[in-house]
Amino acid sequence: MMDSYLYIIIALLPLAAMMVVFQTNPYHALVIRGVLGAIAALVYSILGAPDVALTEALVGTLLAITLYAVAVRSSLVLTIGVLQEEFEIEDQTLDFQVLISAVQTSLDPYYVRVKLMPYADLKALDQALRQQEIHVKVYGNTISNAKLDEIQIKSYQLVTRLNRIYEIIKPDITSALVLLQSSDLKEAQS
Amino acid sequence: MTSVMMTVLNIAIIAMTLSILIPMYAAWKDEDIWQTMLSMASISTKSSLIVLMLSVLRDDWMIGVSGVIMISVGNAGFMLLAHILKRMGEA
Amino acid sequence: MIEVLSSFCILVGLVFGFWGTSSLLGSRSVLFKLHNLSVSDTLGSISIIVGLLFLRPREWPLLLLAIISLMLWNTMLGYVLASCSSDAVKNQHDVLYFDPDFEIGDES
Repeated sequence: MMDSYLYIIIALLPLAAMMVVFQTNPYHALVIRGVLGAIAALVYSILGAPDVALTEALVGTLLAITLYAVAVRSSLVLTIGVLQEEFEIEDQTLDFQVLISAVQTSLDPYYVRVKLMPYADLKALDQALRQQEIHVKVYGNTISNAKLDEIQIKSYQLVTRLNRIYEIIKPDITSALVLLQSSDLKEAQS
Repeated sequence: MTSVMMTVLNIAIIAMTLSILIPMYAAWKDEDIWQTMLSMASISTKSSLIVLMLSVLRDDWMIGVSGVIMISVGNAGFMLLAHILKRMGEA
Repeated sequence: MIEVLSSFCILVGLVFGFWGTSSLLGSRSVLFKLHNLSVSDTLGSISIIVGLLFLRPREWPLLLLAIISLMLWNTMLGYVLASCSSDAVKNQHDVLYFDPDFEIGDES
């Protein structure tokens, strides 16, 4: 009877570990990793190892979570290269904003966020895509319609070099999307 | 310490452990990251309190020291994590 | 006598703890939950530690340190969490591209 609390507290540890394992959102998993660290420190100190508990609290919770947070933040990003004229929000056309938000919406289930990267001209944009600085490039062609000659329509084209990203964002956007074949990339490099 | 008081402390530790389960369920269920952060802060405070209660129950000075350090370090870590999460929301 | 006092303090702390954490399960706003949780957690924890202090006065420096760090850190953490979460909510509205109800032909 006297030590029955030990079993209840120790049962919390696999429970918290299961919560970390089955959490799909990386940011939530980070926070629940903090919960696991707190409970692990508790279990270690009630089993008579305060030194291990201190190490868990200092390194396992403080340092590991900070490093994981930086890693998650810098890796779950889709970089889209755009021309300089479309980088500032005030200069963007409505079609462009709709396109970017459609890409963001299709990436939301994978917890990836979109980041825009400006380039000076089309050549620099193409160079960046081939050198794997960006994942997707977007550029617009101005089409002058003969019937509505007052209005200039800009049609946007996306080019990506990654097959998986092509599969993910293809169903959600109406603009043209081109997958750059890997043979094209090799040809350009040689 | 009398044996009655030890039983009281035992029951208090078990009740405290059960009250950890509430924020754990909230952290599991909630979609909002800030509510998960709240439950994490609550769990950390409660677990260090259990460590302190245990150090009194067993009359063990070392466990008490580790409990106090867990309180201050855990909270400092959460403040760091909260700032990093805020930057993620901005960028 | 001192044991009755200490048991009472621990009981009050437990009641505070259960009351504050049960507000986590409701569907109120984050700031409401934060307020309830920080008040009840801090007061409940301090009450429990005072109960422990009655029980074992020999460990007073440790328990006093625990009370002080609880008071300082919980207040600061509450402030940081509140400011961070309200900033994040505000910034979500600032992002320009996310207007799902907007139709392309609307401006004409």
